[in-house]
Amino acid sequence: MSNLICQFRDFFVSLKLTVVLIALSIVLIFAATLDQVNLGIWAVQQKYFHSLFVLWRIGDIPVPIFPGGYLIGGFLLTNLIAAQVYRFKLTAKKSGIWLTHIGFILLLIGELITGLWQEEFALRLDEGETKNYSESYRSNELAITETTDPKFDDVVAIPEKFVARGEAIQQGKLPFRVVPKIYYPNAALAARDATTPGVAPTPATTGIGLQATATPLPLTYKQNERNAPAAYIELAGPAGPIGTWLVSADPRFPPQSFEYAGRTWKIAFRFERSYKPYSLTLLKFSHDRYAGTEIPKNFSSRIRLNSPDGRDDREVLIYMNNPLRYAGLTFYQAGFENDDKTTILQVVRNPSWQLPYISCSLMTLGLIVQFGIHLVAFIARRRTLPSAVV
Amino acid sequence: MSHRLLPLVVLTALGLTSCRDPQISTYRVPKEKSPAMTATPAAAASAPGATMANTPVTTAEGPGLSWSAPAHWTAKPASAMRKGSYAITDDSGEPADLSITAFPGDVGGDLANVNRWRSQLQLPPLAATELASATAHLDVNGLHLTTVDFTGGPTAKPQRVLGAIIPVGNATWFFKLTGPAALVAREQAAFASFLQTIRAPRPTS
Repeated sequence: MSNLICQFRDFFVSLKLTVVLIALSIVLIFAATLDQVNLGIWAVQQKYFHSLFVLWRIGDIPVPIFPGGYLIGGFLLTNLIAAQVYRFKLTAKKSGIWLTHIGFILLLIGELITGLWQEEFALRLDEGETKNYSESYRSNELAITETTDPKFDDVVAIPEKFVARGEAIQQGKLPFRVVPKIYYPNAALAARDATTPGVAPTPATTGIGLQATATPLPLTYKQNERNAPAAYIELAGPAGPIGTWLVSADPRFPPQSFEYAGRTWKIAFRFERSYKPYSLTLLKFSHDRYAGTEIPKNFSSRIRLNSPDGRDDREVLIYMNNPLRYAGLTFYQAGFENDDKTTILQVVRNPSWQLPYISCSLMTLGLIVQFGIHLVAFIARRRTLPSAVV
Repeated sequence: MSHRLLPLVVLTALGLTSCRDPQISTYRVPKEKSPAMTATPAAAASAPGATMANTPVTTAEGPGLSWSAPAHWTAKPASAMRKGSYAITDDSGEPADLSITAFPGDVGGDLANVNRWRSQLQLPPLAATELASATAHLDVNGLHLTTVDFTGGPTAKPQRVLGAIIPVGNATWFFKLTGPAALVAREQAAFASFLQTIRAPRPTS
C-alpha cells in the first residue's frame, strides 16, 4: 500500500479525528441553538445541519465559515466505519462494542436519509370534507387551473421559486405566458381606496387587486407563523397582455376566475399541494375533556379512507400516539381549530422511520452484552480467588 | 482500494441527490367537493389558518347590513374578503356565486366599480355619460341601491352579473350574483326579492 493511501487510511481511522468531529458538533449545535432565536427551528436545521457548510453571505456571495451537519456527520460515519474495519477485531469479547457501533452507524445513516427525503405536510379537514391532497407547511406555488371541464381540473403548479425569479414562464399546457411582475416573499393585504388622494396606482388591472393592495412585510421565522407571499402576475397571450392579477398565499385570499380563449381558468397562490391516489374524509373530530373540567383528555379524528380502485374503503381512528400509516405516509393528529369542527393532521413521509428504533435497540443490546461479558468475567474472577483473601 | 472509499462515494452521491430543484408540474384532478355548508353565513367563523398567517385584509368595519337569503341558496363560509357568500346550483353543474363584500370609502366610485364588473365579463368600459342609462336605482328599507345587469363573456358560454352597490356610512357594500346567463336569469326574481330583504344596521343610542 502506498504511503499516501496509508496516510489517508490513518486519517480516517484516527481517534483524534473522532474527538475533533465531536468537538465541532458541540460548537455547531451551540451556535445553531443560539441562532434559533433569529431563524426558527426549520431554517436553523437547513442552515446548520442539512448542509455541507454553514454559509455566511457577504453581499451576494455565500462564504463557507464552518462545516455543516452533513459534512461532520459524513466524516463521523466514515471514521466510525473505518475504525470498525481496521481497528476492531470481530471477537466474542468485543461483540457488544460491535453491536453498539453498528447501532450508531445506523442512527447516523437514518438521520441522513431523514434529512434528505423526509417530507412534512399538513392535511386540514372540516367535518364532512373530503380531500385527496395535503399542503406544505413552508412551500407555496402559483396554481393556474383550467376549470372548463365539469368533472376535472387541469392544474399547472408553478413553484414559488419561479415566481421569485421574475422571469416570464411559458408552459406547454397554458395558452398564455405567465409574467411575474412584482413578488413579495411576505406581504400584508389591505383594502385599496382609489379615491384617497395620493394613493399609488395598482399594478393589477383585474380581479381583487383593484380593491386590495399588498404591502411587503419582513420575513417571519416564528414557529407558529408562516410567510404569506404575494405577487402581481401578468398573463399575456399572443395578442398582448390579458390582465395583471394580485395573488396571495394568505389562505383567506380566494382563487380568482377568468375567461380566456373560450375556456375558464382560475389563478391562485396557495400552499404547495401533494396529491394522493386516495382520499380522506373527516367523519367526526372529537375533543374529549376530563369530566367537569376543561382539561383535554384526548383528541381524535374519525376518518374514512377511500381509494378509487376499491382496495380500501374503511374507517380509521387517528388519535395522539396512534397515527394512520398508509402508503408510505404517516398521518398524525396534530391540531384542530374552528370550534372543534376542523382537524389538522400532520402528514409525514419518512422512509427511514424504523431505523432509529432498530439502531437504539442494537445499541442497548450491545451495551448489555458488553457489560454482561465484563460482569461475568468479574464474577468468575472473584469465585476463583482463595477465600482467605476475601 | 475502491471499496475502502465506498463510504465517501456513497456520501457524495447522497449529498448530490439532496440538491433537488422544484419543477413546474402539471396534473389533472377531479373537481373538489365542498363540505356540507352551514345554513347561516358563518360570519364569526375563525378564518382558516389564522394562526399561520396573521395578515388581515382591511374591509369595512362597523355595523353591517343584514339580509335573508332564499332557502335554495347554499351559504358558504364567509371569509376576510367576504361578508357573505352563497352558491346557487342547478342540474347543469356550474354554479352561480353570490358575493357580499364591503370596503371603506366609495372604492373608486360607481363608474369604476361598474366598469370593473364589466371587465370581468370582457365588456368594454362605459363612459361617465353612459353610466346613468346602464344602472337602475332602488330604495329599500332606507338604503339607496344602484343596480346593474350585464351579460358578457364568451358567446358559447355567456356569463351574467346582477349587482347592487350600496353606500352605508363611510363604506360601500357590494352584492354581486355571477354565473352562467341561463342560471342567473332563472334566479333574477329571487335576487330581486333578496335585495328587498337588505336592512341597514340599527342606529345605536
